[in-house]
Amino acid sequence: MSTELEQKLDTLTDADYARGLEVFRGGLKEAEASYLNACVRCGLCAGGCHYHRTEPELENVPGRKLDHIASVFKAHFTTMGRLAPGLVGAKRFDRDMARAWVDAVFGRCTLCGRCSMNCTIGIPLPALFRAARRALGAMGLVPEDLQATVENSLQHGNNMAIEREEWVETVEWMEEELQADTGDPEARIPLDKQGARCLFTVNPREAKFFPLSLQASAKVFWAAGEDWTLASDGGWDLTNYALFTCEDDQAAAIVKNLTDAMTRLGCQVLVIGECGHGYQSARWMGPEWLKQRFPFPVVSILELMDGYLNEGRIHVDSARNQEPVTLHDPCNLVRHGGISEPQRRVLRRAVANLVEMAPHGVENYCCGGGGGQLAMSRYRNRRLAAGKKKADQIRATGAKVVAAPCHNCIDQLSELNKEYQLKVQIKTVAELVAAALIVPTHSEVLP
Amino acid sequence: MPNQLFTPLGTAVVAAGVWAVAGLLVLRARARAFGSRQPFAAAAGDPAAGIRYAFTGAMSPGAKESVREHLPSYGLGLAFHGGIFTAFALLALSLAGFELPRSLWLGARALLALGAMGGLGLLLKRLLKAELRGLSRPDDFVSNLLATAFVALALVSPGQAWLLSAILLLFYAPLGKIRHCLFFFMARSHFGAFFGRRGVFPPGGSHVH
Amino acid sequence: MSGLMFHGQAVALNEEGFLVDPGIWNEELALALAQAEEGLEALTEEHWSVIRFIRGHFEEKQGAPMVRAVCKATGLRLQRIYELFPSGPAKGACKLAGLPKPDGCV
Ligand code: SF4
Ligand code: SF4
Repeated sequence: MSTELEQKLDTLTDADYARGLEVFRGGLKEAEASYLNACVRCGLCAGGCHYHRTEPELENVPGRKLDHIASVFKAHFTTMGRLAPGLVGAKRFDRDMARAWVDAVFGRCTLCGRCSMNCTIGIPLPALFRAARRALGAMGLVPEDLQATVENSLQHGNNMAIEREEWVETVEWMEEELQADTGDPEARIPLDKQGARCLFTVNPREAKFFPLSLQASAKVFWAAGEDWTLASDGGWDLTNYALFTCEDDQAAAIVKNLTDAMTRLGCQVLVIGECGHGYQSARWMGPEWLKQRFPFPVVSILELMDGYLNEGRIHVDSARNQEPVTLHDPCNLVRHGGISEPQRRVLRRAVANLVEMAPHGVENYCCGGGGGQLAMSRYRNRRLAAGKKKADQIRATGAKVVAAPCHNCIDQLSELNKEYQLKVQIKTVAELVAAALIVPTHSEVLP
Repeated sequence: MPNQLFTPLGTAVVAAGVWAVAGLLVLRARARAFGSRQPFAAAAGDPAAGIRYAFTGAMSPGAKESVREHLPSYGLGLAFHGGIFTAFALLALSLAGFELPRSLWLGARALLALGAMGGLGLLLKRLLKAELRGLSRPDDFVSNLLATAFVALALVSPGQAWLLSAILLLFYAPLGKIRHCLFFFMARSHFGAFFGRRGVFPPGGSHVH
Repeated sequence: MSGLMFHGQAVALNEEGFLVDPGIWNEELALALAQAEEGLEALTEEHWSVIRFIRGHFEEKQGAPMVRAVCKATGLRLQRIYELFPSGPAKGACKLAGLPKPDGCV
C-alpha cells in the first residue's frame, strides 16, 4: 500500500469527495450512463486483461474494476442504489472507495481496452476508467510522478523539460549523422521550415536519450524527398500525458502546442511519429479537447511510409533485415487508433520474415506499459508481472527483433527483455525501413 | 387454456408488463438525459457500419476470445436467453387464449428445457467459482432465480405459479440487472459507433489502400 | 520500496531501483548499484567518464543531461553508450550516477 496515497487520503474533506463526484458526473454522457447500467457481472472479460492473465485474482477482473465505479454511480445517481444498496451493490464514495478506485484505475489498468473487445455486453471499459481517473485528479489523487510529467509539458512545452538549445543541438547532431550515413552533404533535418508540407513530431525520449529513431525517420523522409520540418520551439513533442491523468483542460493546453505550430509554420499535414498515445491524443482526442475540427489531417508516420512504398517513392530490400521480426500492436494506435494495416504492409516489404504474434492486431495484448504505467513507479512490480503475457507472446514467435511503433511500448519492452531474458532487439518500424532502404544516388534526390 | 387476460392473475401479469416497459423507458430517458456527444475529430470509418458489426461479427467466437475460451458458458447463456424468449412468447399466447400449434410443442419444450438448464448452469457457476462469487451481488442471484423459475415453470406447470413467476420477473426487470435487456442494446450501439468511427470496426474496414 | 545492502547498511531505493535520496551518492555506491541493478561486475574508465559527467551535470543543473551532451563531453559514440549501459542512458547510466528517475517515457 502506498504511503503517498494514504497521506493524501488522510487530508480529504467531504468537499473533496463532493468535488470528485461532480467531476465524475460531469464526464458522463448517455454512452457512459448506458455502460454503467449494462454490466451483468458475468466475469467473461477476465481473461481479456493481461493483469488477470498473469495473476488471476478478483481485483484483476476488468468487470470488478468497473464494478467499483458502478457501485459509486449507483449509490449517488440511481434510485435503486439509494433504496436498496445492499441488493444492487451500491456504495457511497468514501475513503475506502476512493482507495479502491485508485487501485483499480491507476494501479491495475493500462486503459488498453482489450477487455472491451471481450465484454459480453460490449462495454468500452476504459471510458469509465477515464471518468474515474478524472474524478480522482480533481481530488489530487493522481500519482505524483505521472502528474509531474504533465507539469513538464505545461511548463516547458515537452514532457522532459528539454530546453530549446538542447533540442536544436540534438537535431543538428542528428543531421550531421544523417549526412555521414547517406553520404549526402545536402541531407537535411529541417527546423522551422515555413510552409513545409509535413510537420513531424517526436517523443522527447528520442531527443534526450534515443536519437537513432529520429535519424531513421529523417532518413526515410530524405529518401522519399518529403517536404517536412520539425518545430524548434513548442510543437515538436507529440506526447500528452494528460491523456492518462484524464484532465481535459491540461490535455487541451498540451495538444494546442501542436495546432499552434501548424498555424505558425503553415504546414498542411500533422505527422505523428511512432507513438501510440501521441497518435490517439492528436488524432482522436485533440479535436475533442479543443472542441474544434482540425483544419488539417493528422496522420501517423506509418501511414506515410506505407504510402511512400505504395507509390514507389522509396524502395526497400527486405534481405537487409534477415532476422525474424515480430510486430507489437500499441493499444492507442491499433485498438483505439484504427491504424493496424499500414505497419504490416510496410514490414512485409521491409523485412524478410514477419512472424505475427498470437493473437495480433486489434486482439493483441498490451505490453503492460500503457495508461501511464511507466511513469508510476509505485506500480512497477505489477507492471512487470503483467508484462509477462507480452513476454510469452514474443518468445513464442521465435523472433529476434520486435518492431514496436511506440516509444512508450519500447521502453516497457526493453524492461521485459531484461526481466524475462528474451534476448531480442526492439526497434521502431522506421529503423527497420531505414536499414532496408535502397538509397537513391545523390543526383536522384535533387530535383 | 382459455383466455386468461381477464382473470385477476392475467390482469396482474399485464400490469406487471406495463410496469416493466414503463420502468425501462424511464431508465432510458434518464440515461439520455446525460446528453450526447458531438465528436469533432474527422471520422476514419463509418459509425453505422461499426454498429452493424458490433451486433453481428463482433459477437462471434471467431472475433471474441472470451467466447472461444468459454464455449460452455456461451452455450449456457444462449440457451438461457432462448428459453426466456420462448417462455415470454408462450405467455403472450396463453394470455391471448391461443393454443400453441401441436407441431411446435416439441420445439418449444426443448427450448424451455435447454433454457432452464442454461439458467441453472449459470447459477451453479456463479455459486461455485470463487472469483465469480466474489464479483456477484445479491441482484445477480435474484435475477437469475426469477428468470430460471419463469422458464422452468413454463415447462413443468404452466399454471398459476407460472403466471406469478412472470409477475415477479416483470416487476423486477427494471429494478436490477435485468435492465440489461435495454442497456445491452444501448451500450452495444455506442460501442459499435465508437469503434466504427475510429476505423477499427468492421475489421480491415479502413486504412486499406 | 526496496533496499540495497551497502557497508552493512540498507540504502533506500525506489521501486525502480533509483536512489531515494540522490544526495547520499558516492562512487563506491555507484559500483554497488552497477552490480545490483545493471548486472555489471566492474566499471571501466569509459563507464566512469559517463557516470561522472552525468553526476556533475546533475549537481549543477538538477536534471539529467541530453545524450548529446554525454557524447560530446566523453567523446564516446552514441552506440557505445548503449553498449556500456545495457538498460540505456536513463535507466542505466543515470541510475548509477544516483539521479532520480527522469520523467517521461523512460
Ligand atoms: S483496459 Fe486493459 S488493463 Fe484495463 S482492465 Fe481492460 S484489459 Fe485490463
Ligand atoms: S464481460 Fe462485460 S458484462 Fe461481463 S463482467 Fe465483464 S464488463 Fe461486465
